[in-house]
Amino acid sequence: MKTEMQHENNSTIVSVSGNVDALTAPDLANAIVDQISQGHVNLVVNLIAVEFMSSAGLRTLLGGVKAARSHGGDLRLISTNPGIDKVLKMSGFHNIAKVFSSQDEAVASFG
Amino acid sequence: MASRYRITRAAYLASLNDFREFIKEHCANMPGMNTEKLYDVQLAVDEACTNIISHGYAGLDPGSIILDLEVAYDKLIVSLTDFGHSFEPSSAPIPDVEAPIEEREQGGFGLFFIQQSMDEMDYQATEDGNKMILIKYLSKTDGGRQ
Repeated sequence: MKTEMQHENNSTIVSVSGNVDALTAPDLANAIVDQISQGHVNLVVNLIAVEFMSSAGLRTLLGGVKAARSHGGDLRLISTNPGIDKVLKMSGFHNIAKVFSSQDEAVASFG
Repeated sequence: MASRYRITRAAYLASLNDFREFIKEHCANMPGMNTEKLYDVQLAVDEACTNIISHGYAGLDPGSIILDLEVAYDKLIVSLTDFGHSFEPSSAPIPDVEAPIEEREQGGFGLFFIQQSMDEMDYQATEDGNKMILIKYLSKTDGGRQ
């Protein structure tokens, strides 16, 4: 798994690629916490290049949403992989956080 | 005629990718398989192995996980065997997927995802190890549980 950061307008895009499983999810958690600790609290996590994500990744994203909101920001997702969408839907993630299908939409949502 | 395949790996998180790739290698081109069903099987195997690694062998030296795959004409049978602590699937908490974020527990999705992704699940703790059997029917149009 790899993460790349990019600051755009009022948000920080965390582009994730590879597999997010119980082995790699802690690295994603650290990347998210790092950004929040630097004051980047409006986060867009781009999962378009993620091939596989398990409940460990989901748990990390839920923790990221909580952490971003507790600092006055938010964490929003971009996902187009049907398998990952199913994981998000099974867990009710759509009721908790916003999920977009493109980076432009997600960035624009922060205004 | 059924085909059978086996992979054995040490119960480390670094082995998860090997199990997922094994599923992909042997199942991706099966008749009736599609990308959604393949993801379902990979997810169920990943979650089951993660539980074995994190809980089954907790406090023990990491042992092995044996994955047996039986590919029949209309279904896939995955058997996972380990030699760690057993568990009782019916006692596992069911996550509340409607709960607001403040009330969400940190974990609890692993077994739930396995049950949602596969058509049948059976678990037996025996003297020869713990065995989880997962079945996915390939003739169904819906990739999830009915």
